[in-house]
Amino acid sequence: MSHVDDGTLHAYLDGELAPEEARGVDAHLAQCPACRERLEQERALITRAGELLALAAPPDRELPPFRAGDVKPPTRLWWRVRLPLAWAATVVLALGIGTYLGRGVEQGRRTETAADTAPARLRALEAPIQPEQAQRESRVAARGTTRKPAAAPPAVPAQPATDRADYVARQRDRLKGSPIGVDTARALLGGDPLAVPGAPIRAVYRAHELGYSAVVIVEQLLDSSTVIEVVNRRRSPMVLDQVVVTAAPAARPDSVSAPERAVPSRARVADSLAVAPAAKGAARPLRRFANLEIQISGPLSSDSLRKLLELVQPLKP
Amino acid sequence: MPHSALSSVPQDLAEVYRTTYRALVRFLYRKVWDAERAEDLAQEAFARAVVHKPDNARGWLFIVAANMARDEARRAARERRHLTLLTAEPQESTSATDEALEVESDRARVRAALDELSPRDREVLLLWDSGLSYEEIAAQTGLARGAIGTTLSRARRRLVQAYEAGKPGEHVARG
Repeated sequence: MSHVDDGTLHAYLDGELAPEEARGVDAHLAQCPACRERLEQERALITRAGELLALAAPPDRELPPFRAGDVKPPTRLWWRVRLPLAWAATVVLALGIGTYLGRGVEQGRRTETAADTAPARLRALEAPIQPEQAQRESRVAARGTTRKPAAAPPAVPAQPATDRADYVARQRDRLKGSPIGVDTARALLGGDPLAVPGAPIRAVYRAHELGYSAVVIVEQLLDSSTVIEVVNRRRSPMVLDQVVVTAAPAARPDSVSAPERAVPSRARVADSLAVAPAAKGAARPLRRFANLEIQISGPLSSDSLRKLLELVQPLKP
Repeated sequence: MPHSALSSVPQDLAEVYRTTYRALVRFLYRKVWDAERAEDLAQEAFARAVVHKPDNARGWLFIVAANMARDEARRAARERRHLTLLTAEPQESTSATDEALEVESDRARVRAALDELSPRDREVLLLWDSGLSYEEIAAQTGLARGAIGTTLSRARRRLVQAYEAGKPGEHVARG
């Protein structure tokens, strides 16, 4: 065999030669000291070029959640809305209507504003940082052995289509309010909100549901593309002593009972999904902590959701 | 709401996002030289992938990214021409630490060295550095698979030579 050219040496070192070609190179290298020396030179060149490119790499950042169709981060959007809101509030105060509405409202708003930045900070702190270097090393290692880019890690467990429809329907039905801080959530619930430990918190929302004095939704990222919602419901005093069962009692037409609300949109989902198995109509698993009811929703199988529910812990300050 | 968009993302594309997003940002960064812009463009490329649902999402994303970066470069060049009419001297940042300046000057030197490469050599090198295989690079650039090794060896050699030569020329000396 004639000497190995540069291109073949690079392909060889990159692990991109076909097996029989690689064997041919091996055979030649074994009996050609000159090519062995060149091999080491080219190896050093590849390393050096890689180092130089690493100098011109973008800063390592956490993998942002997949926001298809929404290129701007939600925070910017929120600030766009908030500034006019702040102005509006100022005008209202100047006109003296604020006093008419009562101090409590205004004070609540202020606490919320102060705590609003908390989720972002929390996110930044808790988000898993995967240095690109590690990713690259794993890729290089994978190339050395299999000559293929790193194999994809196991995917998120696929969920049945009905679960997803269920999830979407509940998203629509729940009246999700504005983002709040963890401190505000604490005040609303009268204690620490519960969340799955270890999963970064993307946002905390306040929601409204009849039959509950407060509802706080903690949005958490399980991975870059899976968001779960830990729903914290504080029962209102009037239903504190009632045993909440899943079979709805004959409700008066002018009222909505707590048990019905505990499984929001159940009837509607059952109606709209003729193909949904009967089991879908069953109550979602629920856990109680003191006077809180905890449920988790997300694009996961009900088994996974049930396991997550077992993990929830109070969010300590 | 991010949720509605999220729930419409096919599972396999979400997986491609997880494994390819950083590589795409890395690729784009060496073209637009602005980390935030690179991330925005990468997000946009994925948003387009959600709409187009390409068969080979990974390869498709890099082609779209390359096109977006090219448009971006044209736009930036137009703006630069416009700006040079307005500002006589480029502004210097005085608050940066020595270390940050050093990192910045390293980056500028690598950038200048990359500029010395032919467009084709540079493209192949950047695609390889972003994690694409010879096969994928060949598909994207239209080069024969057998030519990728030769192209890479030339690109790497020129990059290192240009960097070592320092070439305190256009990009470095001015800053």
